[in-house]
Amino acid sequence: MIEAIDLGKRFRSLTAVHDLSFTVGDGEIFGLLGPNGAGKTTSVRMLSGLIAPSAGSARINGMELGPDSQRIRAITGILTEAPGLHDKLTARANLGYYGRLYGLRGAALRRAVDRYLGVVGLADEGDRRVGGFSKGMRQKVAIARALLHEPDVIYLDEPTSGLDPSAAKLVRDFVATLRDAGRSIVVCTHNLDEAERLCDRIGIMRGTLLRVDTPARLRRQNGTASVRVELVGARQPASFIDLLADLPFVAGARVADGALFVEVADPRGDNPELVRALVEAGARIVGVREEAITLEQVYLDLVGEAGERDGGIRGAAREVA
Amino acid sequence: MRPGYIWAVIVKEAQDLLANRLLLAAVVFPALVFASIPTGIVAFIEINDLDPNQIGQIEQYISQFPGLSVKRAAQGFIVLNFMAYFLLIPAMVPMAIATQSVIGEKTSRALEPQLATPMEVSELLIGKAIASAIPAILATWGVFLLYGFVNGAITDPDMTSLIFNDVWRVAMLTLVPLICLLSVLLGIIVSSRVNDARTAQQIGGFIVLPVIGVAVAGFFSGQATFSLEQVLIGDLVVAGLIGVSLAIGNWIFDREAILTRLG
Repeated sequence: MIEAIDLGKRFRSLTAVHDLSFTVGDGEIFGLLGPNGAGKTTSVRMLSGLIAPSAGSARINGMELGPDSQRIRAITGILTEAPGLHDKLTARANLGYYGRLYGLRGAALRRAVDRYLGVVGLADEGDRRVGGFSKGMRQKVAIARALLHEPDVIYLDEPTSGLDPSAAKLVRDFVATLRDAGRSIVVCTHNLDEAERLCDRIGIMRGTLLRVDTPARLRRQNGTASVRVELVGARQPASFIDLLADLPFVAGARVADGALFVEVADPRGDNPELVRALVEAGARIVGVREEAITLEQVYLDLVGEAGERDGGIRGAAREVA
Repeated sequence: MRPGYIWAVIVKEAQDLLANRLLLAAVVFPALVFASIPTGIVAFIEINDLDPNQIGQIEQYISQFPGLSVKRAAQGFIVLNFMAYFLLIPAMVPMAIATQSVIGEKTSRALEPQLATPMEVSELLIGKAIASAIPAILATWGVFLLYGFVNGAITDPDMTSLIFNDVWRVAMLTLVPLICLLSVLLGIIVSSRVNDARTAQQIGGFIVLPVIGVAVAGFFSGQATFSLEQVLIGDLVVAGLIGVSLAIGNWIFDREAILTRLG
């Protein structure tokens, strides 16, 4: 289990991370999403005992960051942003070296190396030098290296970077089995689709965590969902805006593309009441459906880049207000 | 300090070096060049008799070898005088290996995963230092033995005894490893501040200047080789410099500094 409490890191005058608090339970995959320079790598480096925080504290499986950093590193597996392999060595020699650094010896080391070469699909390539490997193969060796010692806590920085779709799926499936085995996993990624598929919860960060939630809840920006109501007939959709503003469960409404867009907290519970109120007011409804807000829209809005996209959530929210 | 971690680093570095033919050649080639120049001169003198005019010019040197023929004395002076250059091998080679090792891993981003293991930074650096120093020590010793036996074979067995004298046995066993260690430490310190191995080696190359200075001074002073006192003083000076380098290295190298400065 990972518990970060108000973690912060300063590099001279630059504050890379501040007030970072979150927990990752056993058997949970936590995604860290953020733009370049958001502090994801610095956060992982702090939590894995590589660098000391300037502020705050963290406990990893009950061990305190700082005094127990060496023990924390022993139970931590980390896939760094770049594979960082030793090109002149074979895949087997690379893994063997790291296995020894994590305390594996003899037959146990050989078994672990063979097992993880197999897991990443490189069983037949183990005796080749990694300098001749493709980007994807190098990434696979780095993944094997991070898992070799069966760590309780795993940090994966862009785990499927450079992998073809089938290899990426293989890695995602394997990470899911690690979760099922009770490991605490943090995935840093720019790949929102991957985060949504893989992570139980996602933290969007820029210096600090802007928001943490499940992918499904994150998609409901500000706790509301947008319901699209298609109307026909003589009355213009805009004529229902005042009516909707008086409904207690409606957070906002706007007209776009000839349809009404109504913000509600609970579409399943609120939609029947919404339809009834509109029908009583004379609306002729031909369709009602919840508009899917993508994680990308939420992400862009939260990190302050929504203004660059037409029809972004921020613009929509202003219209509702 | 846990030997298991240091040993793991040494084994990995050795595998890396053995797989790197260019670097391996850089270890052996300079040593052979330093040894072959005086050996060639000795062989030339052996084949061709000395010109009486030349004997007059080198009389002050050969007078240091009473009891030997003029020819043998001249050969003895040549082989002993050039031996100062043997100290260039431990000064140059380990630095090339160390800078290549640290900067190579910096540019390939291989330092971070190593520092993420339970290994301490000091264990990593000691492992690298030993792994960089051993090939140079072995190369120096190997070429020293070869030098003694080949020159003995060219001239006569007494030449081998002359080369393997007490002073040089002490120098090989003490001064060579110490210079290797100093060279490695300077290589690692310089590597922390620059971004490519060539620059690091150029900056670190200043270490060879005092050694060349000692060799050249020896030649022009007419002294064939070092005395035991000079070797022991050299040991003390180099040991002192190692102490200073260790203190600087310890200050420069913490985990965070390596990650934020080296990659």
